[in-house]
Amino acid sequence: MHASLAAALVADLTTFKNLLPTGLADGSVYALAALGLVLIYRVSGVLNFAQGAVATVSAFVAYQFANVWFQNTGYGPWIGLLAAIVAGGFMGFVIEVFTIRPLTGRPPIVKVAVTIGWLLVLQQIAGLVWDFTGYHPPIKLVDRNSTFPLPGTDVHFGLNQLLVILTALALAGGTAYLLQRTTLGASMRAVSDDPRGARLWGIDVDRVTALSWIIGSAMAAVAGVLITPFIIFTPFSLTLVVVNSFAAALLGRLQSLVFTVIGALFLGVAEQVPATFGYGGASWRQAVTFSVVLLALWVLFRPGNRAVRAV
Amino acid sequence: MTPATLRRILIPVGFAIVAILPSFYDFALQGLAGRAVAAALLALSLVLLTGMVGQVSFCQYSFAALGAFTVGSLVVGHGVNFWFAALLGTAFAGVGGVLVGIPALRLRGLLLAVLTVAVALFFDVFLLAPGTWDGFSGGTLAWPLVPFPSIFGHLMDNYTFYLFSLAVFAIAALLVWNLRNGKTGRVLRAVRDSEVASSTLGLNVAGWKLAAFGVSAALAGLAGALQAVATGSVAGGSQSAYSFQYSVALVATITVFGASSIFSATAAGFFIVFAPQLLDMIPGLSHNWWPLILGAILIVQLVTSPDGVVVKTQRDIAHLMHRLAQRRRPAVAAAHSEAA
Repeated sequence: MHASLAAALVADLTTFKNLLPTGLADGSVYALAALGLVLIYRVSGVLNFAQGAVATVSAFVAYQFANVWFQNTGYGPWIGLLAAIVAGGFMGFVIEVFTIRPLTGRPPIVKVAVTIGWLLVLQQIAGLVWDFTGYHPPIKLVDRNSTFPLPGTDVHFGLNQLLVILTALALAGGTAYLLQRTTLGASMRAVSDDPRGARLWGIDVDRVTALSWIIGSAMAAVAGVLITPFIIFTPFSLTLVVVNSFAAALLGRLQSLVFTVIGALFLGVAEQVPATFGYGGASWRQAVTFSVVLLALWVLFRPGNRAVRAV
Repeated sequence: MTPATLRRILIPVGFAIVAILPSFYDFALQGLAGRAVAAALLALSLVLLTGMVGQVSFCQYSFAALGAFTVGSLVVGHGVNFWFAALLGTAFAGVGGVLVGIPALRLRGLLLAVLTVAVALFFDVFLLAPGTWDGFSGGTLAWPLVPFPSIFGHLMDNYTFYLFSLAVFAIAALLVWNLRNGKTGRVLRAVRDSEVASSTLGLNVAGWKLAAFGVSAALAGLAGALQAVATGSVAGGSQSAYSFQYSVALVATITVFGASSIFSATAAGFFIVFAPQLLDMIPGLSHNWWPLILGAILIVQLVTSPDGVVVKTQRDIAHLMHRLAQRRRPAVAAAHSEAA
């Protein structure tokens, strides 16, 4: 009896070990989307509900380049990624300049409602142009089947999983560098702290805000392209990414880049935990995400927690 | 004629037209009309929450699913009386609303919106997943045939059920109207505008918010029970008519029409059901274009006039009445237009 229990636990740990790379890769994608979300929120004070939809359309732009127009060239997926980044940044620019900026001074909920409008529009454009339900092959930046072990262990990472993890860490580092070490980053932090004060110091608040939307949306685009090998790639499946990135951003209290990334990786791995107990599938992963959102809101956003800015 | 008198005449007339008109429709159109009333009730539940307590909910269709699935499971799967099942479904949804309301007590505005998004997606993926309800329905298609209930031994059809739904909606609208204009409405508005000030006045802020959540969710559950019969089937999975997408569209529609008015809830309900049908009739377009058009309208409207179409129209009518009354005194009218 005890022996079999022990055997079951060992089996579970083996499953967990096999699922760890998957969890970390998923978490890295959430981190990318969440970093963009936090950047936009910090600078412009808008919680961007359209983040998942921007990722969707960008991923389909990449699909168009990689798997349709440049299908038989060796570099198709990379052109696709580049096109997706441009498309994502462009969408962020349009959303901010034409629909958020005219609402300056309005309550945040109105601006959020605008991003909900964009969510509907962008998602439906993706569905109308690229078909709602058909099969879309993922964008293969690297060979899916090449794997190699983590040195000293028997945990095997796929090359595409490693690509996602490294990209996320690199972009997180890049964002931190941007915010802390560059003039633009200092301007962004100034606008985040006090837009009117920043304007008085001669900072071009409009330009800084637009740039934060462009960069944040481009990050969503990268997340959208990189996640395609791990999911069923349809216009609606990517929108679910938005709630995962919300969860990660909430764990970073919508402020901290470091805790956003840690939270995203934690969430990615935690989502795999039910599978190690034999409860695989999307529903149990969603249950984990839901619990994390609930816990984050309950613990981190309690009234009187001064670390959290009023939303 | 003051706006109040106009309202007293227009509401019964409009109600009568809405009640009688579908009797000339064919069967399918009558079914759509029934669904429109259910959607209007759902929109009303959102108006109660958004317009009066200042809270947004992206999970109204999830509460509706509680009502609809209770009816589907009990009526089709177990042969239980519809009236009992609908009552139970409404109660379930109310309890669900209070449960969602508990974490929401500590949150306001956007964070609450995020919470309701998480709730809706949890419902979608967990409760509405294909296969979850097989044990209750005996198949993967959930409940394909929800029968019409009978009343006083008389079996309802599409039109009589539509009339019944309309009566339910009228009672609910009256309830919300009275809530808004009575003591409760003042309390809820006080809570909406400043929780701190309300609690210093000795108001039980938490209790009122929970009550608002519970009543709103119960209305949504009732709407789901009605929709289950009007549609004639209840299904989860990809065929589900209760997923997050629909809740988002509902929030968008009610924002376009104006989130604080009972009239806009009525208009929103009919718009949600009939707009996709109308788009299907236009060559080159289809119901798939509906969210795109809705989103575009929402964006344009928020950027240009953030109050909502119905509220703006009501204000325009009031303004017109005012101008007409002023015409008898030209001097005042001139002064008025000069001031404007």
